[in-house]
Amino acid sequence: MGVVCVASYPVPEGKSGQQIVDVLQSRLEQLGAEKSGQFNVDCETYQSQVPSAQNRLVHLLHNSEQPATCFAVLDTGTCLVADNLFNLLMLKLKNFYPTRKGFKIESKGQRYSLGDFIIKIGSVTFGQNISFKGILVEVEYCPCMVPGDCWDLMKEFMQGFMGNCVENPSNYLKTKMDIMYTPADTIQQYLEHFKTFRKESLAVTR
Amino acid sequence: MQRDEKQLDNSLEATIQRVQDLKGSLSALLVKLETEYTLNWPSVLDSFALLSGQISSLNKLLKHEKTPLLRNYVLLPLLLSPDRDADLEKLTEGRVLAFNHEVVPDYLRTKPEPDVEERQQHISKQASNMTVENAQKQMNAVNRISTQLLDMITSFRDEWELAQKTSQQQTSSIADTNTLLAAVNFGKGLKSGSENVHSSQSQPSPAEHAQPGRQASSSMKAPSSIKTNIKSASSLHPYQR
Amino acid sequence: MESMLAAMNKKIVPLQEYFLQGSVLDASRDILLHRLRGICDNIGGIEKFQDHEMVYTIGTNANNVLQLRARRALDDPEAPWLLRYVGEPDFGDRSKHTLVRSSIDVGTSDNLVQFLTEMGFRLDHEFVVSGHFFRKGRMKITVSKIYRLLQPGDTDKVEALSKSYLVELGVVTVSGQDQVQEEMKNFAEHLKPLVHLEKTDLRKLQQMGT
Repeated sequence: MGVVCVASYPVPEGKSGQQIVDVLQSRLEQLGAEKSGQFNVDCETYQSQVPSAQNRLVHLLHNSEQPATCFAVLDTGTCLVADNLFNLLMLKLKNFYPTRKGFKIESKGQRYSLGDFIIKIGSVTFGQNISFKGILVEVEYCPCMVPGDCWDLMKEFMQGFMGNCVENPSNYLKTKMDIMYTPADTIQQYLEHFKTFRKESLAVTR
Repeated sequence: MQRDEKQLDNSLEATIQRVQDLKGSLSALLVKLETEYTLNWPSVLDSFALLSGQISSLNKLLKHEKTPLLRNYVLLPLLLSPDRDADLEKLTEGRVLAFNHEVVPDYLRTKPEPDVEERQQHISKQASNMTVENAQKQMNAVNRISTQLLDMITSFRDEWELAQKTSQQQTSSIADTNTLLAAVNFGKGLKSGSENVHSSQSQPSPAEHAQPGRQASSSMKAPSSIKTNIKSASSLHPYQR
Repeated sequence: MESMLAAMNKKIVPLQEYFLQGSVLDASRDILLHRLRGICDNIGGIEKFQDHEMVYTIGTNANNVLQLRARRALDDPEAPWLLRYVGEPDFGDRSKHTLVRSSIDVGTSDNLVQFLTEMGFRLDHEFVVSGHFFRKGRMKITVSKIYRLLQPGDTDKVEALSKSYLVELGVVTVSGQDQVQEEMKNFAEHLKPLVHLEKTDLRKLQQMGT
């Protein structure tokens, strides 16, 4: 486990998501990256029915990189890292925290490794009809645990195949620059992006 | 005549079967004693119970009216041979190799073995030499000692059982179990600021205490002798061997 | 999530707890521990524990309340927190040797209390439990003392709740493993007459309290 940066990659008008994914993948392969399996990060959302916690949301995320773990993130930002059985507890809580139907969002795709880096190119799908929403690129630099110490290196690497869409660390990552990085931080970054995607698609449908 | 013979055959067969069973259980017990590392008393008791059952059924069989009086029959060895007899060897599981002059007198004896016989004679001679007065004195002495021993054993057992019972009542209390379970499961006595802490702890306990005590003593009475045995056996042989 | 449900359907997730409970007076605890050391599997190793358990509830309506237990090891700050759900035990079947309840044990990060509070859970009660644990095959045996907290949240100032130690024998396993009950009954026999591990009807205790 090293430091991870999750960035969204724009899909220009007139191109399909798959085309862009293919372009990114071929760039990586030219750099010498090797395929190392599939990955998948998903998120279900539960909404409070309890008077003592009005409108509270619980986001339950899973990352194939930590297959025995699930991450429960509140809209307050508190992230509980728990065993996978926590899923069953959420079922027990269904009277208080029912699932928001059709709110499942997921990023999945190919995982690559290249030297000290792990790169994941994920297509984001949302809702009941699993519609395509965008592309998230995750880059992990394994030898380092403190984001501030390797940010410039990561930025340079990412710009190498993604162009200038990565300029500054995300707001979330900025707060974590000087402390040890944990898997929960990766989840928080995904959640930020997922929230944006959801907001966009809900705004479009309205 | 034929009927008698048949009856003899049948009863002999039955006797052999019973003796065979007895032998099997005896060797099973021996194996158990030799090999089992953690031999427990109940298991030995089981073996003994089996043995005594088999012995009594053998006795019953021999006394049965259908069984002819075996002592009325004569067994006449017609042919002795110094050669090995494979059939006999198999029949006796290798103990008797040949039906020869050496073993036959021993195996077909109807009296005790010679040295046993000798000792018996010696003892009966001694007994007959004793005066009536002397004998009476010795009998009284033996009787006295046995009664004393018996008394000691009974009183010690009573004491032991009593100690067991009282110590057992002290090891656990149902009232406490209930207090603890109510606390762990429903938070009784644990909720901060609640007044029921003291009442729940002390008030119901005398009544509850009396009941479990009675319950426990009556339910424990029956198997106490077995338990006694377990305890004493394990304290004597913690590692069996 | 899907794989979780699939695993549940295949009955490979340990969700059933078979259990028996009893208690032992303080004076006899050492005899019990001695006996347990003799018959249980842990030779050497750690056998002590000291935990702080906080019981949280959510929901207001009496019929619609969910209780979760958060537990942390006081003697090992590095250990994960434990979040536990236990269901109502099934008292109905007298032919069974033990009680059965559903149980979900989840290891979590150390912000569990904050998480539960923000979710709308309220602290119902808390206690400190410290004692010894043993295992024998898949059975777990705990001999523990329950302490009341004199100040909410302060685990240093505590008072013993009773003059006895709680003794619990339990197996958490996948559902439908009824044969384990026989094993547990035999084990409980070994502890008699020191401790009587029994199927205590918790409902009666609850009624007694109200």
